[in-house]
Amino acid sequence: MKLWITGASGFLGQYVVAAALAQGHEVMAVVRPQTNAQRLSWHDHPRVQLVRLDLRQGRGLEAALAGADAVIHLAAVKSGDFYTQFAGTVLATENLLSAMAAQGIGQLIAISTFSVYDYINIKPWGLLDESAPLVENPKRRDEYTQTKLIQERLYREFERDHQAQVTILRPGMIYGRDNLWHSLIGAEIGPSRWLRIGGRSILPMSYVENCAEAIALAASSSAAIGQTLNIVDDELPTQHDYTEMLLRVTAEPPRLISVSWASLRLLAWLAGQVNHRFCADQARLPGILVSDKIHARFKPLRYSNESAKRLLGWVPRYDFSQAVARSCGESDLLAVAHDPAKSPQRTVVPLGGG
Amino acid sequence: MVTALKSAVIGTGVISKEHLQFLRHSDQAELVGVCDLSPAASRYAAEQFGAAAAYTDYRAMLDQAKPDVVHILTPPQTHQRLATDCLEAGAHVICEKPITLSYGDFETLWETAQRCDRHLIEDHNYRFNEPILAINQLIEDGSLGEIQEVEIRMALDVRNEGGRFADPNLPCPVHQLPAGVIHDVITHMAYLALQYLPSIDRVAAAWSNHGGGDLFKYDDLDAIAIGGSVHARLRFSSHTQPDCFSIIVRGTQGLAETDLFQPYLRCITPRSGGKQLSPLINQWVNGWELINASVSNFRRKVLQQTPYEGLHRLMAQTYSALSSGQAPPISFEDMARTSQLVEALLAQENRL
Repeated sequence: MKLWITGASGFLGQYVVAAALAQGHEVMAVVRPQTNAQRLSWHDHPRVQLVRLDLRQGRGLEAALAGADAVIHLAAVKSGDFYTQFAGTVLATENLLSAMAAQGIGQLIAISTFSVYDYINIKPWGLLDESAPLVENPKRRDEYTQTKLIQERLYREFERDHQAQVTILRPGMIYGRDNLWHSLIGAEIGPSRWLRIGGRSILPMSYVENCAEAIALAASSSAAIGQTLNIVDDELPTQHDYTEMLLRVTAEPPRLISVSWASLRLLAWLAGQVNHRFCADQARLPGILVSDKIHARFKPLRYSNESAKRLLGWVPRYDFSQAVARSCGESDLLAVAHDPAKSPQRTVVPLGGG
Repeated sequence: MVTALKSAVIGTGVISKEHLQFLRHSDQAELVGVCDLSPAASRYAAEQFGAAAAYTDYRAMLDQAKPDVVHILTPPQTHQRLATDCLEAGAHVICEKPITLSYGDFETLWETAQRCDRHLIEDHNYRFNEPILAINQLIEDGSLGEIQEVEIRMALDVRNEGGRFADPNLPCPVHQLPAGVIHDVITHMAYLALQYLPSIDRVAAAWSNHGGGDLFKYDDLDAIAIGGSVHARLRFSSHTQPDCFSIIVRGTQGLAETDLFQPYLRCITPRSGGKQLSPLINQWVNGWELINASVSNFRRKVLQQTPYEGLHRLMAQTYSALSSGQAPPISFEDMARTSQLVEALLAQENRL
């Protein structure tokens, strides 16, 4: 298949391109006009065609999609104010879906996030799977959650209005080389201190190469059409295990200041009460003092990847220790052999064709 | 009983949040429509701010919703066309700055408003911020004496990587304006200075691109305008931090200064203690003001209050005027002089 992959130079996107190539696909790798593609090992792979455009602008999109069989949509904006993220995530998706409809491309693998789940209304140690409730009041979370929820709504409308084949994948926290310290184990406070929060919670994580392989597999999986699938690895580490690993592999680790999950939860509850009683809920508090946000990061829950494994035929290739070793190693993780490979076939149904 | 005017908004970008919040909460307005080229953006704005309908075609909105007032919040290049159509459809127009890209275009638009018997109002929101109103009250009371100087200084990190102005992948439309990114803010600087400038007799301006590159036309402005004996300095910098929007007004008897981004009011004026005690009293009064400002600014920060408080005040006064058939708070003179000063400064672009 010829896959049109957006966000191809991003942290996850660059691995998805490599995984798609390894699975024998041709790739149209979409990068922003000013991206330095030379740093990506696969940039000159014979089955890669670089497509330079900015999805926030609809002009030229339809023509750029010509020849693609399916789209893997990863591009999103994770920082900046609401309007910046709205433009980079929602407007970009709207432009893409409109161009796909015009071009008659009906297969979409859409990448969402665990951030859309309503953690605060899930019981501690409960199972978070695809049936878990979605955030009811997105404004209590962050701009990323708000815009990703709007984006998912656009996906399902596209599926309904155009009889398209849409698979939504929701990865957990993706980690890998240069992305090991993350927000599920605490928060940075200054350049050399790290607030370590909790310890017993299981981390809903996916090693970037495992996650990329699942995403690439979804392109040729008929069983996943119309589904929403969570992507996390097998045998997930706890916060404690993961942090201990980080301390071992980080040359100059920050000084850790430990706070228990119960203490933080109480503190955030108190801050919330003060905000409610004295500020009419209008105060913008630091994220670690907002209950809805800390539940989404630190709450102890259980996770399942059964649906993804069953419907995609996916088995996470690297376990935790292998993932850490690869993340800290020197090998080129994006290198893909130039050997001609046979592309996995799947009947491509044009839009409106059921 | 207040009669609500039917209001509509075209453009749902960053500034729309302030206009829509006003419209949502005001009993002087009924939000009948929101329009944006993006269906997702117009739907989101309509849902969030309780608009009766979302549109992607402003002409359809004018036909179907028949608004009394339209807020035009789109990029400046589109203002003239949109405002003309709205005025001809029978709606008053409240337009974001700059209302047009030249004084000639403004005159044409004003003539259209006159012909259609509708009001045309450019957003001069910072004139209605509390510190500016307080300075104007001091002037009216005679506390500063005859005004001799005004300095408007704005520092904005528009070259910040990751910011909307510095993104080379999709250049922001403001880069296409005559003064580039500075055109986005020069209207504010001009109308604030013009409050104290009786005429525009002489101007000089140094427009620079200290950061270089092709994306930014200019990133720095140092300008002087003189009217009668009053000197106004307009200074924009994208290389100094922190961000500020300071105004200093100096008269024959005293001075007043503020920063609209971190509001405070510092006044050095003759006090009741006479020449001997006034300096001491000024120290104590200003120290006390600073303490109060620190507390209120902390509160503003936590409660997410923005420097757009003046916009809400301006809108309330505008809607009251429109409802009662009185003149809006922003006059033809206000807009015309602002447009003329900006044009005069732009004409100086190659003089230094």
